[in-house]
Amino acid sequence: MELPGNLVKYLPLTETTAYILLALTEPLHGYAIMQKVEIMSEGTVKVGAGTMYGALSTLEKEGLIVKVDEQERRKIYTLTTKGRQIIQAHIHRSAILVRNGQGL
Amino acid sequence: MKEKMKEETTICKYKWFWAWQDDKEEAWLTQMSQEGLHLASLGFPGFYFFTAGEPTNYVYRLDFVTDSKDYQNYLQLFKDAGWEHMGHMGGWQYFRTLAGEGELPEIYSDTDSKIQKYRRLLAYLAIFLPIMIVVISGGRVAPFFVGVQVVCAVFLIVYIFAVVKLFGRVRELKQV
Repeated sequence: MELPGNLVKYLPLTETTAYILLALTEPLHGYAIMQKVEIMSEGTVKVGAGTMYGALSTLEKEGLIVKVDEQERRKIYTLTTKGRQIIQAHIHRSAILVRNGQGL
Repeated sequence: MKEKMKEETTICKYKWFWAWQDDKEEAWLTQMSQEGLHLASLGFPGFYFFTAGEPTNYVYRLDFVTDSKDYQNYLQLFKDAGWEHMGHMGGWQYFRTLAGEGELPEIYSDTDSKIQKYRRLLAYLAIFLPIMIVVISGGRVAPFFVGVQVVCAVFLIVYIFAVVKLFGRVRELKQV
């Protein structure tokens, strides 16, 4: 899968970032993302509140996610097209890694 | 909101922690709660107010945040995640939660984000450097001002030491 050159710098994503982006295929607020990531990763990735807050600010600044709403002081985010392209490219890379590791 | 009993007594304690000793401060507050003294509020730097009660397995964590426009959203996220905000001193935010079985609750789940906390602190401290330099290098207009310059010079020494220590912590974290 070809990723526009200016987006290559984001790869590889950290496991935390990858899961946050995956969680945001639907609009969610910070704590809902934390819960969803823990469930999706089968408990292997737990995101602390400070880490989550920092990640959301950074991802928003970089335009990978966007705030779509705010309810009771909870900002609700979702993936942007740019964010979607990046997570797709990351998943593609990870799938290659997984295939290589299958014989172990 | 926590419910407070009317007859609770408040105990004030003084203990100094430097900016790079936040983990020692967390450990001290945790230890105090295990002895039945629970952080209630913060006073001037170094002054802590505790309420006496049953020994409790609270875990305390300190964050450093100065962004005021997003502060309410920040606090809400921590609250949702089970952290009680005990107050702040400057940009230092004091949180606590009950420690369950197994691993200790953390506000930072990876090294990168923990490094970011110290970067924010360093960026905040950087604001004071030009002020101190201007004061110290300013002309000697009055005897009073020389006194201010001396105080400022002492601050500058502590300041440089703090910055070196904080960069040391960032380097330590990077090696993990």
